Amino acid sequence: MRARVLALCTALLCAPASGEDGYSFDAGQFEKKPFEMYGYAELRADRFWLDHENALYQLNFFDSEQRSQLNRVTGALELSGLYRAGIAGVQATVHGEAMRDELGHEGEAKFYEGFLTLEPATGVRVEAGKRTLRWGKGYAWSPVGFVERLKDPNDPELSREGFVLLAGSVTRSFDGPLKTVSITPLVVPTTDRINEDFGPGDHANPAARLSLLYYDTDIDFLVLGEGARSARYGIDFARNLTTNLEIHGEWARISDATKPVMNASGVVTMQTADATSYLLGLRHLSERDTTTILEYYYNGAGYTESEMRDYFTFVHSGYAQFLATGDSTLLERARSVQSAYLRPTPMRRYLYLRVSQKEPFDILYFTPALTVIANLDDGSTSVAPELAYTGVTNLDLRLRLFFLSGGQLSDFGEKQNDRRLELRMRYYF
Amino acid sequence: MSSPRTLFPALLLLLTCLPAHALDGDEILRQVDRKLNPESYEMYRKLINIEPDGRKKEFVMFTAKKGRDKMIALFLDPPSEKGRATLRLGDNMWLYIPGVGKPLRITSLQSVVGGVFNNADILGLDYSVEYRVEKLEQKPGAYLLDLKARTAAVAYDRLKMRVDAQALVPVEIEAYAASGLLIKTLRFKDIKDFGDGLRRPATLETDSPLYKGYKSVMLYAKIKARTFPDEVFTLDYLPRSGELR
Repeated sequence: MRARVLALCTALLCAPASGEDGYSFDAGQFEKKPFEMYGYAELRADRFWLDHENALYQLNFFDSEQRSQLNRVTGALELSGLYRAGIAGVQATVHGEAMRDELGHEGEAKFYEGFLTLEPATGVRVEAGKRTLRWGKGYAWSPVGFVERLKDPNDPELSREGFVLLAGSVTRSFDGPLKTVSITPLVVPTTDRINEDFGPGDHANPAARLSLLYYDTDIDFLVLGEGARSARYGIDFARNLTTNLEIHGEWARISDATKPVMNASGVVTMQTADATSYLLGLRHLSERDTTTILEYYYNGAGYTESEMRDYFTFVHSGYAQFLATGDSTLLERARSVQSAYLRPTPMRRYLYLRVSQKEPFDILYFTPALTVIANLDDGSTSVAPELAYTGVTNLDLRLRLFFLSGGQLSDFGEKQNDRRLELRMRYYF
Repeated sequence: MSSPRTLFPALLLLLTCLPAHALDGDEILRQVDRKLNPESYEMYRKLINIEPDGRKKEFVMFTAKKGRDKMIALFLDPPSEKGRATLRLGDNMWLYIPGVGKPLRITSLQSVVGGVFNNADILGLDYSVEYRVEKLEQKPGAYLLDLKARTAAVAYDRLKMRVDAQALVPVEIEAYAASGLLIKTLRFKDIKDFGDGLRRPATLETDSPLYKGYKSVMLYAKIKARTFPDEVFTLDYLPRSGELR
């Protein structure tokens, strides 16, 4: 009898919670399982309004059919999996993308991450494998992101591919003004088969991060030793100034930063110099739920206004020669260094402003936003109004329109398009 | 004349027999906190936002709390929110979004999810930690507590809390902004036994004059006393807070 009563009590305690109004909640199905899988499928449609006068249109389209618009559809699938076994775990993320536009189609799939974790005690961890690290406190840029791929300020929250590394981590908490100390030493080995896009040569590429929570301020000290990339070190911080205002910053010193510089005649020289980059940012939340993110970024390793003008001038000359003679030699030469010149925000001084309003007019799950990226060297800008809706469970909808403007030979003024419309539908599972 | 020997036990008896309303307001509030959950605990919650047309959006989260002011809230469902986690250490708060890949410091009033619920509902600490009692009134079967936020970091400046005098659990809370505007009303319902002597409301219903016609419901499950290492409440651990379950 006692056993029956006990069994009944146990059954009652373990039964799914159910409210008087018929709501039910079976928390048991959300307990930790050995294997988990999740991800998203995405469909993105882009329309580019191209500008024939712009240098990057001429560089990208001189050898293809001339057009004033380009329509592109991109499908993406990202799958993440996690397997746990005692103190060990294996985690992987695969990202596949296929794109089609009027010029053709392409696709690829990559392991963004795939690593083994050992956690013998809380606060002690070892990781080995391909891993995406995100260092720094900046939202749009991270000058101290020494062991990661470049962030795109137009989409800072996009997942990115990691590097193969071996990392350890020890974290300790304390009472008093110093609340947390965490140290993460790591190596990012490079050979001709591993991490070949991190940098050339066979190197161990040691790096480390020391993180503190001190007097309610997050502080990180970061360093990357000499190897496939030149040595660099930096510091970042973040703290709340008031209950609705946060401040953050990063500072990085890069020794022997190297970049290819092409003059207006097309002569390429590799320039090497020590560089300092930094970022200062604010995040503010108003009483009306308006979030403002403002960041100033100084990229000491970026191109000066005159260096950028020289490159665009050379592209225009190359295009003029191509139209006159059909000879694309100069444009091909410009293309040879385009990865340096065409990366997002390649110049020195930028300002990022994003204002988003949560659920205006009491429309739940609806967030309009406006993002402005201004190049403070040449005055050119990218202005992107945005509408986002998350009211359908697991479906995110985002519509953005980019307006790029600037004078001749300016950063945003010479992009291949003046406007771009983007509709993104992402379904999570 | 009574001797001190007989007076002392009589006094002791009198003190122990005093009605609960002899407690001061702050003590009642502390007792309410302990009736709602242990000081350090884990729990699962389901948040349901119900729109005027009856459409529902549901979120499930796991919460770990230690001591006065260390807390993690981790979203487990729906998949679009899965992995999103918030860490609170006193007035410091960070939000981890898997896509962003690193915890970002947020202002303490930043909302982490859309809908009627806000941080105060999701990451609220013990009432006695965030509020002091300004006024205590006794009504038949209930205490009425007027609470004032201890700091500006608390989302609701004032609360009017009706407490069941016998069970010492809240029945209804009205939350006001500093301007005196009623932001929302919380109704605690459905008292259940969660085990280990914890008997408390399992359902919290919310409506707000700011969101006319909308209703939110929070269901509680598996509230258990649990002590976590301090290292769990760190930025380094936040992305892996799902391992705590």
